[in-house]
Amino acid sequence: MAAIPTAQIGDEELVASAQKGDRRAFEELVERHKQKAYRIAFDFARDREEAKDLSQEAFLKAFTHISRFDGRSGFYTWFYRILVNVCLDYRRRAKRAPAEEYNETVEHQVEPSHVPANPVAPDQHAIAGQLSRKIGAALDTLPAKQRMAFILKNHQGLSIREIAETMETAEGTVKVHLHRAVTALRQSLAEFA
Amino acid sequence: MVARDKPALNACRNLEEDLVLYYYGELSEGALSNCEAHLKNCEACRASLAEMRSLLPMTAAHDEPPPTFWNDYSREMRQKLDLAADRKPWWQSIAGLFAPIPMPALATGALLLLALALTFGKGFWQPSSPAPVDDTLLEVLPMAERLEFFSDMEILDNLDLLETLGGQGRGTA
Repeated sequence: MAAIPTAQIGDEELVASAQKGDRRAFEELVERHKQKAYRIAFDFARDREEAKDLSQEAFLKAFTHISRFDGRSGFYTWFYRILVNVCLDYRRRAKRAPAEEYNETVEHQVEPSHVPANPVAPDQHAIAGQLSRKIGAALDTLPAKQRMAFILKNHQGLSIREIAETMETAEGTVKVHLHRAVTALRQSLAEFA
Repeated sequence: MVARDKPALNACRNLEEDLVLYYYGELSEGALSNCEAHLKNCEACRASLAEMRSLLPMTAAHDEPPPTFWNDYSREMRQKLDLAADRKPWWQSIAGLFAPIPMPALATGALLLLALALTFGKGFWQPSSPAPVDDTLLEVLPMAERLEFFSDMEILDNLDLLETLGGQGRGTA
C-alpha cells in the first residue's frame, strides 16, 4: 500500500506523527505555516531578518514542546500562541534599543521584491517610503499587546474570538486593545488619511 | 497622498469602540443595527469610519520575499531542528554524569559511607573518659587532710597531758 503523501495529511495527523518522533511530519508543518508565521513576525518586527528569526524560534519552541499539544485547539492556534509570545518577548527586549535603529532597519530591510505593473514616480516612491516609516514608528509606539491584537485582526484577519484564544485573554480585553490601537494609529497617521 | 487640511471630526464617544468593531465586522446583530441607524444621521461618525477605511489597510506591511528567501528559510529551519533534536533535556545531561560504572562506583560509595561513619560516629568508638573531677572537691581535699592532721595533733597534745596525768597518778600510789 503506497504511503499517503504528507501534503494530503491534515495538521492534526502530522502533529500526532511528530509527537511520535517523525521529523518529516514536523518539517511538513513548517512548510505549511512558515509564510503565515513569517508575515505575523514581520508585521511585528518590520525587519526581514528579525521576522525570520522570530518565526523560526517559534517553530523550534513548538518542536521542543510538541508533546504538550493536547488537541483541544487547532494546531495553528496553539502555534500562533507560541509565536505571539515570542514576538511579545522580542518587543520587551527591543524596548531598550534606540528608536533611530528601528527606523534605519525598516528603511534598509523592507525592499519591494516585485516590479509593479505601473512604475511609481520617484516622488511618490519617496512619499510611500515616508509613510512606511511613519506607520512603523506609529506601530512601534503601541504597547505590545495592543500591537499584537491589531496585527492579528487588521493584518491577519483573525476573529476577536480567535485572537482572545491566541493571546489567552478575554474577548472584551481584545476589543479594548483593538479600539485603543486604532485610536492611537489614527492620531499618529491623521495627516495621511 | 496629500496632507489633510481640515481637522478630523471625532466620532461620538459612546460609539467609538463600536465603530472599530463595525469596521472589522465584529458587531453583534443588535449592536450592528444600532450602529447603522446612527451612521445614517451622524456625519462625524461617518467621517471617522471613512478615515479608518482609508488608513488602516495602509498599515499592513507588504513584504514579499523572493523564492530564494524561502529556500534558505527551510534549509535553516532543518538545521535548527537537527540541533534541537540532538540536544538533550537538562535533566538527562545531569543524569548522564551518574552513568553506572559498577566497581569504581561501589568502591566510591563504600569509601563515602566509611568517611561519613567516622565523622559522625566518632563519639561511639572512643572509650568514655572519666567523669571530670569536681574542682570544689580538689580544693577541699587538702583542707580535709589538714583538718585530720590538726585533729591528730590535738590528740597528741592530749596524749602528753594524759601521760603527765598518768605519771602523777603512779607517783602517789
